[in-house]
Amino acid sequence: MRIESYTYPGNRRTGWTNSALSPWTGLENEIDRLFTSALSGLNNALPGRQFAIGLYQDRDNTYVRAELPGANREEINVEMVDGNLQISAARKQRNGESGESFFLSRTIGVPEDVQPDRVAAAYENGILTVTLPKREEAKPKKVSIAVK
Amino acid sequence: MSLITTLIPSRARALSHLENGAAATIKPHYELVDNKDGYGLTVYLPGVAKNDLELTAENNLLRIIGRRTWRQPEGWTSLYSELPEESFEMTLEHDHAINIDQIHAELREGVLRASLPKAEALKPRKIAVN
Repeated sequence: MRIESYTYPGNRRTGWTNSALSPWTGLENEIDRLFTSALSGLNNALPGRQFAIGLYQDRDNTYVRAELPGANREEINVEMVDGNLQISAARKQRNGESGESFFLSRTIGVPEDVQPDRVAAAYENGILTVTLPKREEAKPKKVSIAVK
Repeated sequence: MSLITTLIPSRARALSHLENGAAATIKPHYELVDNKDGYGLTVYLPGVAKNDLELTAENNLLRIIGRRTWRQPEGWTSLYSELPEESFEMTLEHDHAINIDQIHAELREGVLRASLPKAEALKPRKIAVN
């Protein structure tokens, strides 16, 4: 639960409000703000909270994509620990003179047997893509059987 | 799911938006700080490349549209996903409080950082009293 100081709606116009597309926008924004603060525990994409991931596979590899906007490339760590994939990253926030630092970490259970020494990772546009090659035994095999 | 959609107003609106035929977008997370000379805007746009970002200032609106062009490659099966594919869209209304000509913006690793200098009229000014 986040504590947010209440600002009287009429005073907020000097700052920033969102799109004025309908006469209800102001009210809608207020309601959205209430819902956002009430539901913030469910929202995992906010900075400083757990980041969102996606898990995919094809014939040869398992892929993990993670949203890590603004992370320092040098401070992204990808490790295989006991068959689980651990991703951790640090992000520095620059807001004028003040700076905040976040440390994010997440462990993901990887379904297929992977070759830990051949795991590769790429970071682009704030998305980390980890490629986990499957072990030969885990790949689907085609066995041709001669029918006599 | 439908219960959540009906309970949370912003979701219900997103849905009606979709039914109207427009592409669904989500509002990105952003931070806005009020510095002495301007506002510092940070918008989190993971998966948006520079070419897919549109930043427009018109009248008193500043609109940010970030398109996510990544699509699941053929042959990939999704096992689990928390990653939305919708594009980002947000609009800020500013009552002409900023100097549009001097906006400086930079997109790096999915984070847009923009400095929005305050219009001269808005800066605090000391008035000499005789």
